[in-house]
Amino acid sequence: MMKESDVVTDNKLLLEIIKTNLTGEGLNWLEAWKASPDQLNSIGKTFVMAPRKTGKAIIQLSDSQLASLKEAGLAYIAQWSIDRLCRVWLLSNLPATDQDKLYAAINQLFLSAEMNEAVALYSALPFLAFPEIWVMRCAEGIRSNIGSVLEAIMENNPYPAQYLNESAWNQLVLKAFFTEKNINLIVGLDERANIELAITLTDYAKERWAAGRKVNPQLWRLVGKFTNEEIFEVLKTGLQHYDQVEQRAIALAVAASGYQPARDYIDTFPELKAVLNTGSLSWDQF
Amino acid sequence: MMGEPEAFDISVVRGMKFFDPHVHMTARTTDDYQAMADAGVVALIEPAFWLGQPRTGLDSFRDYYSSLIGWERFRSSQFGIKHYCTIGLNSREANNESLAEQVMEILPLFIYKEGVVGIGEIGFDDQTAAEEKYYRAQLELAKEAGLPVQIHTPHRDKKKGTQRSMDIAIEHGLDPYSVIVDHNNEETVKEVLDRGFFAAFTIYPFTKMGNERMVEIVKQYGPERIMVNSAADWGISDPLAVPKTAALMKMRGLSNEAIELVTYRNAITAFAQSGQIDEADFNTPQNIDQSVKFEGNTILRGGQQPRTDKSSMIIS
Repeated sequence: MMKESDVVTDNKLLLEIIKTNLTGEGLNWLEAWKASPDQLNSIGKTFVMAPRKTGKAIIQLSDSQLASLKEAGLAYIAQWSIDRLCRVWLLSNLPATDQDKLYAAINQLFLSAEMNEAVALYSALPFLAFPEIWVMRCAEGIRSNIGSVLEAIMENNPYPAQYLNESAWNQLVLKAFFTEKNINLIVGLDERANIELAITLTDYAKERWAAGRKVNPQLWRLVGKFTNEEIFEVLKTGLQHYDQVEQRAIALAVAASGYQPARDYIDTFPELKAVLNTGSLSWDQF
Repeated sequence: MMGEPEAFDISVVRGMKFFDPHVHMTARTTDDYQAMADAGVVALIEPAFWLGQPRTGLDSFRDYYSSLIGWERFRSSQFGIKHYCTIGLNSREANNESLAEQVMEILPLFIYKEGVVGIGEIGFDDQTAAEEKYYRAQLELAKEAGLPVQIHTPHRDKKKGTQRSMDIAIEHGLDPYSVIVDHNNEETVKEVLDRGFFAAFTIYPFTKMGNERMVEIVKQYGPERIMVNSAADWGISDPLAVPKTAALMKMRGLSNEAIELVTYRNAITAFAQSGQIDEADFNTPQNIDQSVKFEGNTILRGGQQPRTDKSSMIIS
């Protein structure tokens, strides 16, 4: 969870990384903005122009910076470009005394966001004050068809799991499967699993099979612990394809379930029983 | 002239890279993107223009500009083509003055964005007073922003309109080298080149330049500051105009150096003055195996789409 103290610490960490990655001119430009009196009015131009001042190189991290990022749950920032990081820093450093003014200033940026600006905006959601006011924007961003924008919301972003309601969350996960995102990178995937989603995903699996297409093995991760009589039928169908990856994923999913008939059924597959016993199966392998 | 079509074989320029500095991709399908990518187009510029019927409100302009820097840019990347744009209030819609005033106010929100390589396409259509007013205002904006200007020359009364466009640009203190005068023909080219501007030519069936005529122009004036584009839009036009013109030039004896200048290099030189073009973004040769997957996801050139087989009845 992002507590206020986390936000402050994270901000310091981001600035430290920026300072070791920016040249004099870029850094001066950023610090001039931070010291300026009218940040809410100037953020439009500043945010848009950032790449011209910072360049677009991927950030370089020292070992201790990387360790600090990992400790703060922000290791994914290691892959960001400097303009993205600076834009996130700019947004998270806007004055947070007036909620309506802050909302207006940042909302304006969403309205005319270019591809890379949109990526930075969604990346910044976990770092903004008044986090609940961005829920609608986040849900709307999930409706985008722009691949990099979807990735910025769905992958390595703690905001959606924390703030989206169940139906918006389910839309995120479904769309991630539909658009072939890296499911492993969705933060809060296991914590936010729910029965509605499990049912929709099993319907989706049946749809894929009817079309002669394969099912992403990560799907079973969100189904397993909700196994009931109906879901068990679907799992059986999957197992009987005799595709090793699919079978192992289903087995791993069922291992998290309390539904005994399913657990017993897995035991009738010697290879699966054996590999589960070794304890070596995990979701990051799929 | 309706005779036998010349065989469409551009293999003489296989391996060359092309840059189309004026093409309206929002009006084109993904088939066109795929064909352009196959023919060697690696980057393009989409100018802001009108939609075929008048816009009635500011939001239409804002959403259109947003689509040029957002969705269309992404759509282009799916085919491995780098998409740039110019932003501006076009000459036709400058005649709606109350709307034009509002558009002028939001232009600064867009012109500083990544990948906006100029103010365009602006200039004259009917050559009215309103068109002149907003042309001048946008020249000032271009100067302030340090951006090149992409000028649409009128299709009716072109010679006078082109001259006026150049006169006014000089009057406002713009460096002709930062101004690309578009839709030239045999009647306009000499003065445009003599006065130091870039001369762009639109290879467009029936109504604008043809590429055989283009070959003659390059033979006569040389390749300096000349570029070709397709201006492919919602009309009968050809998004492969640039590679086809290159192929024709090769077959008609122009040198590789001249062809590269006219179909790639000069456009980059002109618009890179915006500071927004990095040739490395579209210059690196890539060998793409379309069947390669990475962590279960197809990874194609820059997030490219897999190819459909158009010759097959089967869609799956």
